[in-house]
Amino acid sequence: MSPSSAIAARDVALVDLVDRLLGGGVEIAGDITLAVAGVDLVHVSLRALVSSVETARPKGEE
Amino acid sequence: VIELLAITQDAGAPPPPLRVVPAGPVSVVVGPVPEGEVDAEALWAREALLEDLMEERSLLPIRFGTRVEDDAAAAEAVAPRGEELVAALERVRGAVELSVRAVDRGGADAAAVDDVHARLAAHAREYARHDGPEALRSAYLVDRAAIDGFVAAVRELQHEHPGLSILCTGPWPPYSFTEPR
Repeated sequence: MSPSSAIAARDVALVDLVDRLLGGGVEIAGDITLAVAGVDLVHVSLRALVSSVETARPKGEE
Repeated sequence: VIELLAITQDAGAPPPPLRVVPAGPVSVVVGPVPEGEVDAEALWAREALLEDLMEERSLLPIRFGTRVEDDAAAAEAVAPRGEELVAALERVRGAVELSVRAVDRGGADAAAVDDVHARLAAHAREYARHDGPEALRSAYLVDRAAIDGFVAAVRELQHEHPGLSILCTGPWPPYSFTEPR
């Protein structure tokens, strides 16, 4: 892996993690679940990051 | 206030600061509420705790940010769903979740995407395919013994379909396979 693709892989993994943390897992009764402030914003900015990583990667790289 | 991290049937003590609280037929892994901002580092720290636990026991991750007042409240929230959670643990026992995204880099048709999904699904116990901006966004529940074969299939598919960029991450705790089918 080149250094730039290693960074890309870590970013992709972070987006996959955030997707899972926010959308996956067992939901325990709603009234005891506290929203964690700021996480949705983290999510949105990560999405933007990954699409820029993907579009920045030159085609035919393999 | 404590944070609920995972459901397990193994009552053995996890490494501190985590603890297990019995809740009917299952146990809840709980921990202190982390201090500081929720940034990428904090999320990875939480993930590392779960991945370490996952090495030695089957577990169901609990939705991020789930907090209750104390141990009694944790048991009270989880115990009524005990039977359902026992079945859910059985479903994921011995398996991990692998994530796959396929991004269209130009020229990939639906048949290529379906081929990727179908051939990966053949290595999986179950899958969950989601809508998203990518051509394919799926989670696969894969037996630990089948992980190597799955990864080899990803490489092979990437080679066969240069019009797609296939991104695979994991193994994850089974975040996408915790709710009843």
